[in-house]
Amino acid sequence: MEAQLHDSLVTLFESKLSTQMLLNLETCSRCGICTPACHAYASMPLAKYAPAYRAEVVRRIYKRYFTKQGRFMPVLGEAKDITDAALVELKEAAYSCTGCRRCMVYCPFGIDTQQIMSIAKLLLIGAQAEPETLSMLADMSVSKGENIDALKEGFLSGIKRLEDQVVEKWRSQGEHPIPTDVVGADVLYVALAGAHSIIPAAAVFNAAGEKWSLSFFEAVNFGAFVGDPTKTRLILDRIVNEAKRLKVKEVCICECGTAVRVAKQLKDAPFAVVGLTEMHARYLRQGRIKLRKLPGSYTYHDPCQIARNGGVYDEPRYILRHLVEDFREMSPDPKYNWCCGGGGGLVAMGEETLEFRMQSAKVKAEQMRGSKAEVVVTACENCHTQLSDLNRHYALGQRVVFLSSLVADALIP
Amino acid sequence: MATLYYLILAPMVYLAVAVSVLGTLWRIARLLRAPAAPPPPPIYPSRKPSWLFALGDALLLPSVFKHNAPLWAALGLFHLGLAALFLGHLELVADFKALQLIPHSIFLGKGLIGLTVLVCLMYFLCRRMVSPTKELSVPEDYLLLVLLLFTVLFGAQMDWARTWFGYSSMGVDEYRGYLSSLIRLKPSVEGVTSAGHSFMLVAHVFFANLLIMAFPFTKLMHAIFTFAMNKFRRG
Ligand code: HEM
Ligand code: SF4
Ligand code: SF4
Repeated sequence: MEAQLHDSLVTLFESKLSTQMLLNLETCSRCGICTPACHAYASMPLAKYAPAYRAEVVRRIYKRYFTKQGRFMPVLGEAKDITDAALVELKEAAYSCTGCRRCMVYCPFGIDTQQIMSIAKLLLIGAQAEPETLSMLADMSVSKGENIDALKEGFLSGIKRLEDQVVEKWRSQGEHPIPTDVVGADVLYVALAGAHSIIPAAAVFNAAGEKWSLSFFEAVNFGAFVGDPTKTRLILDRIVNEAKRLKVKEVCICECGTAVRVAKQLKDAPFAVVGLTEMHARYLRQGRIKLRKLPGSYTYHDPCQIARNGGVYDEPRYILRHLVEDFREMSPDPKYNWCCGGGGGLVAMGEETLEFRMQSAKVKAEQMRGSKAEVVVTACENCHTQLSDLNRHYALGQRVVFLSSLVADALIP
Repeated sequence: MATLYYLILAPMVYLAVAVSVLGTLWRIARLLRAPAAPPPPPIYPSRKPSWLFALGDALLLPSVFKHNAPLWAALGLFHLGLAALFLGHLELVADFKALQLIPHSIFLGKGLIGLTVLVCLMYFLCRRMVSPTKELSVPEDYLLLVLLLFTVLFGAQMDWARTWFGYSSMGVDEYRGYLSSLIRLKPSVEGVTSAGHSFMLVAHVFFANLLIMAFPFTKLMHAIFTFAMNKFRRG
């Protein structure tokens, strides 16, 4: 590795050393309590998938450059230089971690392996060794923010084509089943680039009589997946600026765990941020929508970024109680629900990661099968894709559906 | 030999304490000086007041209990043992009324607490020698356990060593004389260097010195950091 690159990586590393990060790096006693917490380890018991082992890959470099022990007695902590070989290890550690933070629940100190992995991701970006697919997707999102006027036309005609399907689910009073660019709307809904993320949500908004507007941008934040704080911010800013321009009271993020988490971390925004599931639970509580009961047996997969890392446990269960007779918990304590195995950008990398995703989420497939439910419901795009892949790969014979689409299908006047 | 004993029992003790205190303060200062970054979310569901639950997590280790009960028991015995030994050493420095609420002769456990800690340490060591904890461990982990093991071994067995000499030579009074002289900054080691089992005391102090010095530069800082970490997790 060239000296210049090496030095710039050390500087990048240093830029991540906040108080909390230092604590994450300096407290681990390598007790290994977190080892069985990781779905990757539980499915494939190899040391490299143990959370603390992943963290040590980063920590060894930390010790070498930033601690007295690592400088004077590197053997004690196996301190290591940043080298090309180290980058390979960093990549394997970081992109086999979905950032589910299940290990953080196990750790006696609460060490956040995902945070430590964010250093690995940043170093990989610095060395231009990050997964190309993810950075390409992130760049596309950023450039869409810069060229929105050129893209508006195409977007609006695409939306127009969906309107009939919205009306099929709910005949609304207004003239626009999918309103856009509504200054003074109460809610700005940020969807994904896909009809499944727009049609059901639109039907429910209309049924609830919401004054809403569909965002021009998609919610997913590839900057967060690739681990690039600058791009994460740029991608989020597109939505923030639109919300400010339209003067909305709330920004509602579609069923995308990472997007919800990133948006909820906004500080001092002139609007509140809610997830679509919370919105639907609110409409039900307020009597603004009514649902009929659907036949069949159902279980719910808590997306890590929405439940364990976002606190939304009750809302989906509240909705499901109104929606189905036969509901079965997937995990006795939802805090311990297994990650689907597709987060952290793994699903976004598509076929590239398919084999690893299927192997590392064997425990998830077993959990799905164990629920004995016909339908697996979830509220995150990533989880939905991954659970559908698992369903196929392990021949589970279940149906994987979005919670929002169940709600839209069950709407009654 | 006498010079070596003196060096270990007096200057090295001062050095160890100085390194430990300054090192610990330096590490805490470094943490506080580091830039603040937007904190990641806590783990949900959250319970209020979060500081109280965080304190409970730090002191009672409920997650260890849930996921590895034998380790939890060993950790409990080990840390409580350490705390008891710490209080015991305080009694070698001076009389504390609070510690004598239940009157006892000094070193209440007569080496039994040390023995318990020893057994726990052996367990920790063995655990680190098998997968999957083995792959996680680095030399520091073994070294600290061995250092603790030696410290406790020579410390706890001192009482027993005395019996070789019919309890006649060097006992609590001599230890007290030595420790309080250290605290008055007028170290006097004569009382503790001439007995038959003095080598045990010297070895005990030697390993303890190393351990004390290692504190700020190793994972032992978990004793302090755990409170901040657990608070972050609880939000
Ligand atoms: C309030 C104070 C403390 C708390 C909450 C605490 C907590 C813990 C926890 C959760 C572990 C489990 C991790 C593991 O097995 O490695 C542990 C292990 C340990 N602690 Fe502490 N600790 C405290 C103070 C201390 C102190 C003062 C020492 C100093 C000697 C110490 C020495 C150790 C050692 C040697 C281990 C075992 C490490 C191993 O398994 O290799 N602890 N402690
Ligand atoms: S955050 Fe999840 S995927 Fe990453 S190491 Fe922890 S348990 Fe494993
Ligand atoms: S449980 Fe926590 S302290 Fe123990 S090895 Fe895992 S991250 Fe380190």
